[in-house]
Amino acid sequence: MATLLQQLINGLVLGGLIALIALGYTMVYGIIQLINFAHGEVFMVGGFASLATYRYFLPPSWRSDWWLALPLMAIGGAVVAVVLAVVMERFAYRPLRNAPRLAPLITALGVSVILKEVVRLGYPGATAPVPFPRAFVDHQFRFEFFDGTVNIGSTAILMIVVSIVGAIILQTYITRSRMGRAMRATAQDPDTARLMGVNPNRTIVLTFTIGGALAGIAGVLYGIHITNVDTEVGFLYGIFAFTAAVLGGVGSIKGAVIGGFAIGLIKTLSGQYFPGGTQYDLVWIFVLLIVVLVFRPQGLFGEPERVRA
Amino acid sequence: MKEWIEYPDGWIWLGQVLLAIAVVIGVVYVLRLGWRAASAFLATRPALDRPLGLTGGVIAVVGALLPWVTFRLNDGPYPDKATLQFFDAPFALSGFRLHTLVLGVLAIVVLFLPLPRRRVLRALGLGAIGIALVNILFPVIDGGGLGAITSDGENFAFGGIATLVAGLLLLFAAKTGGVLEPVPHWKSAVPRLVAYAVLVISFVVLLLVVAMMLNAGGQGGVGNPYAGPIFLSLLAFLAGVLGALQAIGLTTWISALSDQHKWFSVVVLLLVALGLPFTEAGTDYWMTTAANIGVYAATAIGLNIVVGLAGLLDLGYVAFLGIGAFVAANFSGAAAAAFDIELPFVVAAIIAAVVAGIFGAVVGSPTLRVRGDYLAIVTLAFGEIFKKAAQNNIGDLTGGANAIPNVPPINWFGQSFDKPLTIGSVELPSGVLYYVLIIVLVALVMVVFANLKNSRIGRAWIAIREDEDAARAMGIKTGQAKILAFLIGATLAGLAGAVFAHKTSTVAYDSFQFIESVTLLAAVILGGMGSIPGAVLGAALLLVLPEKLREFSDYRLMLFGLALVLIMRFRPQGLVPDRHRRAELADEGADGVPIEELNVHDTPGDEKAVTR
Repeated sequence: MATLLQQLINGLVLGGLIALIALGYTMVYGIIQLINFAHGEVFMVGGFASLATYRYFLPPSWRSDWWLALPLMAIGGAVVAVVLAVVMERFAYRPLRNAPRLAPLITALGVSVILKEVVRLGYPGATAPVPFPRAFVDHQFRFEFFDGTVNIGSTAILMIVVSIVGAIILQTYITRSRMGRAMRATAQDPDTARLMGVNPNRTIVLTFTIGGALAGIAGVLYGIHITNVDTEVGFLYGIFAFTAAVLGGVGSIKGAVIGGFAIGLIKTLSGQYFPGGTQYDLVWIFVLLIVVLVFRPQGLFGEPERVRA
Repeated sequence: MKEWIEYPDGWIWLGQVLLAIAVVIGVVYVLRLGWRAASAFLATRPALDRPLGLTGGVIAVVGALLPWVTFRLNDGPYPDKATLQFFDAPFALSGFRLHTLVLGVLAIVVLFLPLPRRRVLRALGLGAIGIALVNILFPVIDGGGLGAITSDGENFAFGGIATLVAGLLLLFAAKTGGVLEPVPHWKSAVPRLVAYAVLVISFVVLLLVVAMMLNAGGQGGVGNPYAGPIFLSLLAFLAGVLGALQAIGLTTWISALSDQHKWFSVVVLLLVALGLPFTEAGTDYWMTTAANIGVYAATAIGLNIVVGLAGLLDLGYVAFLGIGAFVAANFSGAAAAAFDIELPFVVAAIIAAVVAGIFGAVVGSPTLRVRGDYLAIVTLAFGEIFKKAAQNNIGDLTGGANAIPNVPPINWFGQSFDKPLTIGSVELPSGVLYYVLIIVLVALVMVVFANLKNSRIGRAWIAIREDEDAARAMGIKTGQAKILAFLIGATLAGLAGAVFAHKTSTVAYDSFQFIESVTLLAAVILGGMGSIPGAVLGAALLLVLPEKLREFSDYRLMLFGLALVLIMRFRPQGLVPDRHRRAELADEGADGVPIEELNVHDTPGDEKAVTR
């Protein structure tokens, strides 16, 4: 029982992380129907940027106070991720907005490869996983549960809280604010939205900004939770997050969050209980992705695909 | 590498980076302003073409004769023992000074011929700029610093700068008058024998050029740092000359001729390809590389059916190559194989192709329900599932991390394929039989592809690619057609995989990762979607470049990514565009190919093509 509870908690933590990344995927896809392959790499860059903020930008005396260092790291990671996402949109995707649909997807693939390689070759020591500072906001809460001990780290709690709070704020922003309404309008019909006085380019940039910021924050949380960051994680978590977005229904905030938690739980539980163990946990996620795409392409909370003119 | 540091010097780094970005943006902005102003000025001065072209040509000739700066490799390991010296190599066939000279002379000659000289000058100018940039940047980047552009410390060398100026002048000459001349259209109805002669000559020239390219600068590596720049500058030269030939309409004419005499071209091309071992590139090393290129080219053509014709993006395609390789390895009698039988290669290859084809149909089956981008993700997921399964040695079929080693070489008529072949008194290098086998395989795949493309199913694929709903409305069974595309593509890849297994002798899961799928996709896109020569050219470029640029091998993947982005942005039709594709993407002769010109088949007197 303790193992089950532990795996459930691990799954929720992983799910929170995936949900944060999936929000970026789902918003971008919702507004310009682009699978932004490079989004996973933006998350990875966010992790590296926050580590760089800690190592190379914070004065040493600030580093030991987590309440000072952590928000600054988050800001560092988020700023770099946002700049990256916006530059990417401006120079790689915007020129291709009216091109055949394969073109932006292939471009996104190329951007993703470039980002990964730039970090791998450019960041000191990034050819191997780079350690995050340990014993930093790292407090383990332990308690007895039936037949064993269950651990919850403070970083785990932070991850779950941030992802849920982030999703709620985002949902409120999109449904209540003026810019949120513009985003929904652009997603529905860019041409009519333009007629109604919405600037589609600005709206799209805003979407990339929000997605990038969430990915950057996810990068920081990943780093302090796992205690290292690696150039490989961008691709892997990008795929997880995309699966989550598809599972929940692309375009739906609620769907992305629930999909994220579902993927997290499936990964940890299948790793524990399915034949093959953690060797095959990825395979189960991909099988689920294929099954969902084949039998319910609109996902759990998505609307059936509208016919666009 | 900096570990824990005392004060945050990241800020200094950040300042430098921002400054560098600002400088680059500023320079680019100024250059663009200058270029626009120059273009606007030259557009009103059509008579300046000859003076500018002549000056450019003369400066290029002078630049070729001036000394250049380059590295000289002394005794000891590179780059410690390399010093900056003047380049005083003889005018070798693959030497950039000769190339610069040729470009300059061509530029002067073309001014006095009744040809579309602005187009030609543009191509030649770009070639000269390419040569100059490669040869200037190499010493600078490889440790010479900015001073290495013109000097080795005591002496001065202005060859590179002169050539750069010459190239710019040629570009300016091409800008005079504001418009480029139309590409002349050559009559494609010529006597059969003339056409045959032209085709044979062009293919033989092609062979010699390929051999020269492979040999240029030799094999890359620490001992031979020149391989990369020499190869790249040769590439720039060839691109310039090819552009010039295209500008005068010669290449279009030859490709129209080869379209008319399709079978003759195929046979000649095959014979010419088999001649490569007899050229200067006939060494063990290049035969092995050429065989690798062949495997990738065959796989890329298979992928081209799925991506180029049917428009279905497959991001896990290398899995089919892997399936073919593992199946063939398991039936090869290798010690680690799952089945204790040794089938003849042909049988094993057919089984491999069939198994891969079945998997292709399985992977393709979601296409019935899943569209576009989602399909790409399904194929990616399949590729990852394959990799994970192979990594974990599923069913003891893949050997897992131990791989399947020692797959025996193919052995026909007592001749083992990994041994040198002796015909009469001529000894051919050891990779030659695999090379021949793969050439035959590529030819087979090409024929399959060409026939499919022009068949009912091929047209159905193209229709699906353009508009799936419209295709369905026209009565095409889209589901069947799409699954068939996956099935055939995967079968071809499986066949290539069987050869791959025997050729490399070790089949390991990590030869079939996501990045290999990206490489294949990059080959297809670089060459041009839906185009056969394009897929071969793309695969060749993507495999030869890393061999030549060994010391830059860290940047290989980054350059692949960059290539994908840049091609999608600036030349989505690829280097050798497919005719259909070119017609779709062309806007009023933007790249010099007006749409009317594409209907080569309607030329009077061209009955053979019309009846098809």
